[in-house]
Amino acid sequence: MSVDLAVDAGGLRLRGPVIAASGTFGYGTEVPLLERRALGALVSKGIFLRPRAGNPPPRIVETPSGMLNAIGLQGPGVEALVRDYCPQWAAWDFPVLVNINGESAEEYGELTGRLDGVPGVAGFEINVSCPNVEQGGMYFGNDPRAAAEVTAAVRRRTRLPVWVKLTPMVSDIAVIARACEEAGADALSAINTFVGMSIDLHTRKPRLAFRTGGLSGPAIRPLAVHLAHQAARSVRIPVIGVGGITTPDDALEFLVAGCAAVQVGTATFADPRALARVHDGIAGHLAAQGLGSLAELPRYLQHD
Amino acid sequence: MFELTAEVASFRQRGPHYWVMGFRAPEVAASVRAGQFVNLLLRPGPLLRRPFSVYTASAGEVEIIFRAVGEGTSLLAQMKIGDRLSVLGPLGRAFEVDPEWKSVALVSGGLGVAPMLLAARDARAAGLRVVWVHGARTAAELSLESGGDQVVYATDDGSRGVQGSAVAAVPEGVGAVLACGPNRMLAAVAARWPDAQVAVETYMGCGTGVCLGCAVPLRAGGYDRACQEGPVYRAAAVDWDALPSHLQYAVSA
Repeated sequence: MSVDLAVDAGGLRLRGPVIAASGTFGYGTEVPLLERRALGALVSKGIFLRPRAGNPPPRIVETPSGMLNAIGLQGPGVEALVRDYCPQWAAWDFPVLVNINGESAEEYGELTGRLDGVPGVAGFEINVSCPNVEQGGMYFGNDPRAAAEVTAAVRRRTRLPVWVKLTPMVSDIAVIARACEEAGADALSAINTFVGMSIDLHTRKPRLAFRTGGLSGPAIRPLAVHLAHQAARSVRIPVIGVGGITTPDDALEFLVAGCAAVQVGTATFADPRALARVHDGIAGHLAAQGLGSLAELPRYLQHD
Repeated sequence: MFELTAEVASFRQRGPHYWVMGFRAPEVAASVRAGQFVNLLLRPGPLLRRPFSVYTASAGEVEIIFRAVGEGTSLLAQMKIGDRLSVLGPLGRAFEVDPEWKSVALVSGGLGVAPMLLAARDARAAGLRVVWVHGARTAAELSLESGGDQVVYATDDGSRGVQGSAVAAVPEGVGAVLACGPNRMLAAVAARWPDAQVAVETYMGCGTGVCLGCAVPLRAGGYDRACQEGPVYRAAAVDWDALPSHLQYAVSA
């Protein structure tokens, strides 16, 4: 049995539909016991122009079927990324997209300019949806004009694929999705974490030092499937489904809902081999259905 | 580092509060060093793994010690011989011992005793005289390990040994201090012995360096990861004011 899992996802031909989600796979060098064969692509941990210390601890707390995180985009800054990680990426047999962040549209553009053309950088995922930074982040993602402005600023600086990671914290994701499409995005990642809070009844304070955090994990999956589906049917560019995927069936829900590919995130924390399990399970499902390729999978995608 | 499915091989209650669970994990048992931990996944069980210092390691078996305080540890306490769990480890940076010290104090608060059996093994192998200092709130929560070495007890309520903290009970003249326990105890260790090695407690996400959830604030600025650069630190390197003083579900508590 051989099933062709290759997909076209926003300007990239991927050998498989399973992508490592930003912030859950470091820079691709940290996850132990990694089965690289299963990776369609990797989206790096979010990076800014300059190094960032991140938020004070506690940064994470487990919640029912999920977790809240407020890491705060800790990172070494773009120069260290170019020096320490890009040369390794250049040797890998799958593409690495850099998750890029800024406090202004100009900063996103400047970061893109610094990374464009660096060997190892295959594309960009614009983070306009991080709930855990004081400046920028989610602010850009819940205003269609700001989201378009950031997308356009990145688009002007590169011909590489540009994806935009959307926040679920909006009243109509279709409006933001279309704004990003019109501003030149090649694909959309839907969705980033939901903003949540957990209170310690002993201290009567939030459990996270940042007070709020981004909720991820199986708890958000039905919400994510719905929002990814809404985004997918409102644009022509591919949508990458993200949110609580742990099993092959979870991923297949997003694919049937109209997504071109999926990202696996939090599941990797518990199981370093989660991506490979999802990848192999998708192939098994398609084979059991008598399908020779992922492209033959029927989609539920009524257009507006 | 290994990821393996391990069978529960032994189970005992130690005192009124603590459980010791052993499981078959030959690769981990053969390579684990004092202060390192394993990250355990229970299915069915909570979303994330739970980190535990390795308590003993011999003949292909690894033991952990814990108290049933939350969802994960309560499930662990209900496991039976032959049940299976996923073990990831050994993880983290270990205690280092130096024969030049001549003697070493192993200072623990409550379940902070977890890494000290292996530390004592390594210290004796290096020819050091070992002094155990066990602290706890009450005699019932006190650890009693001594392995035949000198041992000092300290309880908050004075129900056994010296009344007061384990840190205050450490005899003068020891060559070095290794400590594990609540972070507020470790902060007191840092104030008295900047060069002490301490195993900190933090919440942990992945245990493998990816999620950046187990941030430890450093005196030099910024954060690093308890699961990679720690959990063992030089005491003076940690910014104790910025590290939460006590966590209910953390690695050693």
